[in-house]
Amino acid sequence: MSTTTTTRTADPIDPAPAAATPPVWHGSSVLLQIRVLTGRSLRALVTDPGVVLFGLLQPVVILVVLTQVFSKMGQPPHFPAGVTYLDFVLPAVLIDNAVQSAVQSGVGLVDDLKNGIVARLRSLPIVPSSLLIARSLANLVRSAVQAVILLALAIGVLGYSPRGGATELAASVGLTLFISWSLGWAFIAAGAWLRRAEPMQNLAVIAILPLMFASSAYIPVADLPAWLAAVAKVNPLTYAIDATRALALGIPGVDAAVPALLFGGAIAVVGATFAVLGFRRPM
Amino acid sequence: MTGLAAPPPDSRATTGEIMIEAQDVSKVFGSVRALDSVNISVPRGTVLALLGHNGAGKTTLVGVLTAALPLTSGRAAVAGFDVARQPQEIRRRIGLTGQFASVDGQLSGRDNLLLIARLLGAGRRAAQARADELLELFALGEVATRRARTYSGGLRRRLDLAASLVGRPEVIFLDEPTTGLDPSSRLNLWEIVENLVADGTTVLLTTQYLDEADRLADSIAVLSAGSVIASGTAAELKAKVGQRTVTVTLDGQDDPAAAVEALRRASMEPVTGLDNGAIIIPIGASKEIAAVIRALDRVGIEAAELSFGEPSLDDVYLTLAEQPSLLAPLSERPSA
Ligand SMILES: Nc1ncnc2c1ncn2[C@@H]1O[C@H](COP(=O)(O)OP(=O)(O)O)[C@@H](O)[C@H]1O
Ligand SMILES: [Mg+2]
Repeated sequence: MSTTTTTRTADPIDPAPAAATPPVWHGSSVLLQIRVLTGRSLRALVTDPGVVLFGLLQPVVILVVLTQVFSKMGQPPHFPAGVTYLDFVLPAVLIDNAVQSAVQSGVGLVDDLKNGIVARLRSLPIVPSSLLIARSLANLVRSAVQAVILLALAIGVLGYSPRGGATELAASVGLTLFISWSLGWAFIAAGAWLRRAEPMQNLAVIAILPLMFASSAYIPVADLPAWLAAVAKVNPLTYAIDATRALALGIPGVDAAVPALLFGGAIAVVGATFAVLGFRRPM
Repeated sequence: MTGLAAPPPDSRATTGEIMIEAQDVSKVFGSVRALDSVNISVPRGTVLALLGHNGAGKTTLVGVLTAALPLTSGRAAVAGFDVARQPQEIRRRIGLTGQFASVDGQLSGRDNLLLIARLLGAGRRAAQARADELLELFALGEVATRRARTYSGGLRRRLDLAASLVGRPEVIFLDEPTTGLDPSSRLNLWEIVENLVADGTTVLLTTQYLDEADRLADSIAVLSAGSVIASGTAAELKAKVGQRTVTVTLDGQDDPAAAVEALRRASMEPVTGLDNGAIIIPIGASKEIAAVIRALDRVGIEAAELSFGEPSLDDVYLTLAEQPSLLAPLSERPSA
């Protein structure tokens, strides 16, 4: 059994002298690592446009269905006066899109862990957290691309015109992207701890739908049933939506934006901390 | 050379320098002692094969040596750097081909190599040159632009190995590199490894296959339940096991336990556990074949097949690698 008969032929595969040449490269800076890895995460958006389309599915359905349904049904009593349902719901749809994209950054990390690239990166002399930052930046870009598509759809097809003006709309979208980025860290942390696709998907379904519906997203909180209104009042998404909506509608005052910024900042700090801790654990 | 200090700048000239070293390395996962006081030492430019069954601790040892897993106790050094204190220095100098291919299925083969080269600090040009060089050397040119997830097992393995060579590492770890490969891919990979070693690379490979260890390794460490139970060159291991063997295959209706019992009574130390149910009996001189036949005859068993063998690595493995599950349901084996 210990005799192996193999004929050694002229071999097409003759690896380059490995040790004959000393190491020529001396590592990359963290910024370069983040840039290269962000580019890698974003490549899926370009090579696989289905990813973007799939991410847009839920926001688009909600946008189209709700605007059609509610314009027929008449407005609930606490609806802001002189505001169309489209004006009301668009900021919430953008937040929904932001949340979807944030979830995808966690799912993307779990995919990376599964497909072996993380194992490869761990054997390289790089800062492991640069992969997490890359995921978070890719999420931001993706969220922005999808927001632009949603806005184009709302303006072009549904006839949306921002009540507050273009600058206010831009500020609203900017705040939405900030929320997406910070929520992204929460889901990256979840991915780094869960490390498996199924619990990650379950978390996405279980967390998002109730969070979106038990909030001020689609109906003013005052018009929700009492128990749902109670949930909505402590739901951080309510504050995020109130803030981006106030900006988009051109309602003056910055007080709405403050809780949203605080909430976003806190989630980002806590999420990033747990993400790094979870990711650092050996495979 | 302790192996724990940084090597001299022109260490390449030093022969016999220890590139991989483990001293009393233990690793505990909860209640599982995956590694128990493991000692190994691999000189530059040589190949060490870690031979062991599933669960022996091979992947864990690779994890510890590549600074991916913290060790529980002991010391380990690679290329002269301590795994616990200088993990980044080690990562700069090693290539790792893990048990499961670690390439990005979303990216093409070429983009996988480019990504790694860029992360290692290569400029765009240099990265492209290195990627193309490796694609050609590993005969991956035809599939270079295809996504890696569409690759066959053999292609993926090759890409994985190419990926671990991007930075021209001095030390390469290969965890079961040929498990699941078809014979020709396997041969192919062996030749790649041999070429690397010819160029001065130090290799630690794990395997469950004896022929692989015998063909590639300068020295072999047999790992079982976290301990190195034997080590040395293939020849030394064979000598350690010492004996020639008689292999007996029984007829279906004969009771192997009775045969083992009879052989023990004749002061032999039969080893069981082969897939085909054969019994291996180490013997001293060839005339002891007769003693085997007589011992079996005494209990009315006639061997359906009987062969005589010079020691091989199979014997080493079966004699040394304690694997209780393989021995059941026959009574416990005499200690080796
Ligand atoms: N992360 C882990 N957590 C708990 N136990 C582990 C872990 N990794 C390996 N083990 C245990 O350590 C032992 C050695 O495993 P491993 O090194 O993977 O063996 P091999 O690679 O030789 O098949 C096994 O009993 C395995 O169950
Ligand atoms: Mg293993």
